[in-house]
Amino acid sequence: MLEIKNIKKSFGNKQVLKDVSLSVQTGEVIVILGPSGSGKTTLLRCINFLERADGGELTISDKTVNFTKVHKKDIFEIRQKTAFVFQNYNLFNNKTAIGNVMEGLVVARKIPKSKAAEIAKHHLDEMGLADKYDCFPSQLSGGQQQRVAIARALALNPDVILFDEPTSALDPELIGETLGIIKKIASAQNNTTIIIVTHEMSFAQGVAHKVVFMDDGFVVEEGSPDDIFLRPKKERTKQFLSRISPIEYNI
Amino acid sequence: MNFNDLFSFERLIENMPNVLAGLPVTLSIVVCAFFIGGLLGFGIAIIRIRHIKILEQLIIVYISFMRCTPLIVQLFVVYFGLPLLVGLVGIDINRWDKLIFVLIAYILNEAAFLSELIRSSILAVPAGQTEAAYSIGLSNIQTYFRIIIPQAGRIAIPGLSVQIINLFQGTSLAFLMGVLDMMGRASAIGVNTYHVIEAYLDVAIIFIIISICLERFFIYLNKKYSYSLIKGGY
Repeated sequence: MLEIKNIKKSFGNKQVLKDVSLSVQTGEVIVILGPSGSGKTTLLRCINFLERADGGELTISDKTVNFTKVHKKDIFEIRQKTAFVFQNYNLFNNKTAIGNVMEGLVVARKIPKSKAAEIAKHHLDEMGLADKYDCFPSQLSGGQQQRVAIARALALNPDVILFDEPTSALDPELIGETLGIIKKIASAQNNTTIIIVTHEMSFAQGVAHKVVFMDDGFVVEEGSPDDIFLRPKKERTKQFLSRISPIEYNI
Repeated sequence: MNFNDLFSFERLIENMPNVLAGLPVTLSIVVCAFFIGGLLGFGIAIIRIRHIKILEQLIIVYISFMRCTPLIVQLFVVYFGLPLLVGLVGIDINRWDKLIFVLIAYILNEAAFLSELIRSSILAVPAGQTEAAYSIGLSNIQTYFRIIIPQAGRIAIPGLSVQIINLFQGTSLAFLMGVLDMMGRASAIGVNTYHVIEAYLDVAIIFIIISICLERFFIYLNKKYSYSLIKGGY
């Protein structure tokens, strides 16, 4: 379960998150939509404390923290419960594929190396990367790198996985492939909550239990995919969706 | 006057052991300056990256002094200035070996240059690497030592190779302080025998051989830690 209450965040004079609240049940898949600069990514980064929010409250599973008074220990604990998949993968360049996946297990979770290797191999195999264990990121294609990054996130068995535009840096063919994998994860994981920021509308419609539309630092509208895509209530949502030409990918 | 008075291969070979005897002194300057200076430089780089107040301002002044004055001036400043400075608090270091003053000067100089090299290398590691490390639950220190430093080290290798070869050749100034390194010995041979060319040529040969070895070593390092970024090294 993940709950955000009245989260606020400013960069200098610019208030990016004005007052966002969000509640997600365990195992739910949430897709956040919205124009650039609406605060989607910032929201995701605040959940993982990659940005420090200025105010508000965050609850993940049984852990609640207030953003105005967070301790290092709290941040650490929250990060243990979450995993982040970045737009530009951010694989560790000095580590092989398997090293990337093992890093968090061995160093942060203190799992013995042999056991960590086993877990890492299992997740890389799931991603179809069984022959790429010892490849450095520079030897992998974009799609492969993103799959390693997803394996890295899944291996930690987090309560919440955050996907920040996971396909924005990929070509159309690889987008379909990567979205397919995320879809598979979404349907297979029952105790993991998934939050995805994306611009892939048909994917959002197919995978989400709930769609959240954000604009200008606020949540404008939220509801089931059908509610948002077929029967949007707010003018801003209609406007945004009408401007997006639907592109179909083969997922 | 025949050619043999100017130059002879016998003397070149004869003088070689005498000149080579200065090599340990030269190498000890290089090793001390590079490693102690490197450690100091690392600390300085961290202070600058973390923007620690007051210390950072002091360090900026120190670095700009070290980078904007000739090494020979720094050697003299340390050699003549340091005893006066510590003399003020009542400690007499005039009896110290000359080599110690020379080492201090080289360490300080090297720390300044290396700190800038280390700083730029650390900053060249993309911020996304740090974020990814945080996101999988690594602490600050773990992130630094497991992700940032290895990648920064890789970026620093070509710069370090230039720096250490520069330093190695820069040690030849130490003989002006009266240190008996290779240059010191060569000039002593010149004074005693009136045959200067052979001894200095010996020095040149040794410098060339060691510089090439250093260069090769760094090319090897560069390849070894390429993470397959560059096929076949540079």
